[in-house]
Amino acid sequence: MTANTAPEAALGVLPKADGSAKYSHAGYTITASVNGPLEAQRKDEHPNEAHVDVIVRPAAGVGATRERHLESVLQSSLSQIILVKNFPRGLIQIVLQIEETPENDYVNTKLVQASVNFPIMPALFQTCILALLSAAVPMRATATASVVAIVLEGEKKKTVVDPTPKQLQTAQSVHVLAFTSHDELLLAESEGDFTVQEWDEIYETAKGICCRPQTRKSGAEMVLDEADVAGQADMRQFIRSTMEGKVAADLHWK
Amino acid sequence: MPREAEPSLNEKTFVLQALQEKLRLDGREFDQYRPLELTFGEEYGVAEVSLGKTKVLAKASAEVTVPYPDRPLDGVFQISTELSPMASPAFEVNRPTETEVLLSRLLEKTVRRSGALDTESLCLVAGQKCWSVRVDVHVLSHDGNLIDACCFAVVAALRHFKKADTSIEGGVLTVYTPAEREPVPLGWLHSPFCVTWSVFGEEGDIAILDATRAEEQVRVGSCTISLNRHGEICQIAKLGGTAVEAIALLNCTGIALTKAKELSSYLDGKLAEDAKRRDKSGRAELLTAENDRVTG
Amino acid sequence: METQSQSFVVLPGDAIDPSIIPTTKTKPLRLGPGLRHIPPSEIVPTVSGKLIVDPRKNSMWVEYNSHRYIPSQNDLIIGQIARNAADFYYVNISPYNSNATLPHLSFESATKKTRPQLAPGQLIYARVTLANKHMDAELECVSSTTGKAEGLGPITGGMVFDISLGFARRLLMAKSKDEGGLQVLELLGEEGLAFETAVGRNGKVWVGSDSPKIVIIVGRALKETDEGDLGVDAQKKLVKRLMRDMR
Repeated sequence: MTANTAPEAALGVLPKADGSAKYSHAGYTITASVNGPLEAQRKDEHPNEAHVDVIVRPAAGVGATRERHLESVLQSSLSQIILVKNFPRGLIQIVLQIEETPENDYVNTKLVQASVNFPIMPALFQTCILALLSAAVPMRATATASVVAIVLEGEKKKTVVDPTPKQLQTAQSVHVLAFTSHDELLLAESEGDFTVQEWDEIYETAKGICCRPQTRKSGAEMVLDEADVAGQADMRQFIRSTMEGKVAADLHWK
Repeated sequence: MPREAEPSLNEKTFVLQALQEKLRLDGREFDQYRPLELTFGEEYGVAEVSLGKTKVLAKASAEVTVPYPDRPLDGVFQISTELSPMASPAFEVNRPTETEVLLSRLLEKTVRRSGALDTESLCLVAGQKCWSVRVDVHVLSHDGNLIDACCFAVVAALRHFKKADTSIEGGVLTVYTPAEREPVPLGWLHSPFCVTWSVFGEEGDIAILDATRAEEQVRVGSCTISLNRHGEICQIAKLGGTAVEAIALLNCTGIALTKAKELSSYLDGKLAEDAKRRDKSGRAELLTAENDRVTG
Repeated sequence: METQSQSFVVLPGDAIDPSIIPTTKTKPLRLGPGLRHIPPSEIVPTVSGKLIVDPRKNSMWVEYNSHRYIPSQNDLIIGQIARNAADFYYVNISPYNSNATLPHLSFESATKKTRPQLAPGQLIYARVTLANKHMDAELECVSSTTGKAEGLGPITGGMVFDISLGFARRLLMAKSKDEGGLQVLELLGEEGLAFETAVGRNGKVWVGSDSPKIVIIVGRALKETDEGDLGVDAQKKLVKRLMRDMR
């Protein structure tokens, strides 16, 4: 349940999909499948670009408004980084299956928590990116996301990264931000009461986590940034090392 | 609706020709299942089943709700099997295909109607409060034989699941959180399993178990037998398709019983293994508040 | 200027160090799959894989494996007739994608009266003549230069198996043992099995033989080599095991 558990990912877990990934971090486990480019249905086809279709399925129950919100947020961000112009009238189909969410032993399940959507967004985002990389869907860049909350500790307001379910219940505001690998802001969703200054702080914190500099020597060696910002895993490095593993396995014969 | 590609003439001819020479594409015997794997999640009631490349995830959950007015002493039990494009791009959400409808009906008859779960034990306050148990089946990958895999996953998830402990004092219902009291298992009466036979050939004389997707697309008929390890049959479904000799069908039922027993002992073994893993401190016996129950 | 090939793993959007891009004044730089050119001088990977730079051929590309075929001109593919139209066949080359077209007369010595009649579901070996993102692909079953079929046309009997695109490329290499690390077909031949194969770049391999048992052994060997990422030693063990199991 702690937010400092290391993320884990496995690629190609679904043998019949074009690409797939299973990702777990901070109590969330999500499996994603990517199929595409396929032929889009008449109602979805666009003459100049591919349609990106995202479907989010909760662990228990059938999807409702909450899932539709997650789908629309993911769809608009992913459409920006997938090279949709490469496949006119095409369809990139992404399905996310939520398998586990962090348990709160102090609260009975099924009590709908107001901001329960936000903490799962970074995990959904990462799973999508890994699955898209596994399917070799052409992209402009990769992206990483993080969730930050502002909680009241006594009199002071504190910025908390990867807040626990308990912290979320009492948080003043919750924010999800995603950055591309070119350090551009891709997604910013916020909920709650906050000032512009607070948002600027959140932006800097999230950017510090998502956009850690990675140095490279003559295009060959990767130098790991050992310093962990606020004890958070370096997501960019995680994606890179996961993909290095996959490429090594795929091209073992070379 | 995106249409799934029909197998080619070459494939259809070859699969049948190979079966006539007693050969299957993956080298299995006619009555051999693919390697079956079952993993339980950290949470109670999560079961992931893989049968070769077919992968299914079942999740059981429960919440307190109002019982149906015409059945005040029973709880509510639902099984939901919505197929998504994750299983195959041929499926669309909210547009049930024939596969989905049949799957859902077979699971309904096998698990719900056969009384595997004791719905009376779900009643909390007659006519006012009861447990509503639901199992959500998610097909992650479709390589044939969804019925057998889904049924196994549903039964595994329900047997693994534990609902919150409750108590009633003076008409007031208290539902305890997992931190206050250990959750309790569901009232389970017997474990049904589905065994699906696929039929080939003009005479319907070749029958195999656990068809892959490629074999399913070429088959001329299929028959699903649901039964538990005691040989009690919940249902037999042969919905259309080429006619099959009655003797052959009886033979299939006999082999289905052997398979059901194998599935049952595999499941029992996995549940015991999981219980042992969770009970590292040896305190599980002290924490449980229920009497010993003889389970089928 | 570097004389040996370099390679390292890239992710989409990675910056490529300009010093490793080969430059000659005589030949234009050729970009292969997985890279895109942002004028005037930026070259960016679009997929995750190994960036390979070949200074001798003055080309660079990203080597990666995937399962979804995108038609490209001059590729040899195994397709399936979907249905017949007035002047051409609709052929499916990739599941859930739009069909390609194959003109009725694109067969060896075909005229309106003597053309081959292909039924829906028939497998064919064809070459892609036209492929771009705006149009459905077009195929031919005859060489436009010589007028001969050269192995193209309907495929009879046998069985077709799905493989990854990278594996298909390795099978189609001229020296698939040395450059592609594939010895499995050679090993099966050494065991005395008589069979033939046809490889489609769209991730399909057809195996034909007089005996269905042999077809199944070869098919399983290929699929397990592909799915298990087997090296040459593992391929040897696989062939031995399959020969033993299927006796």
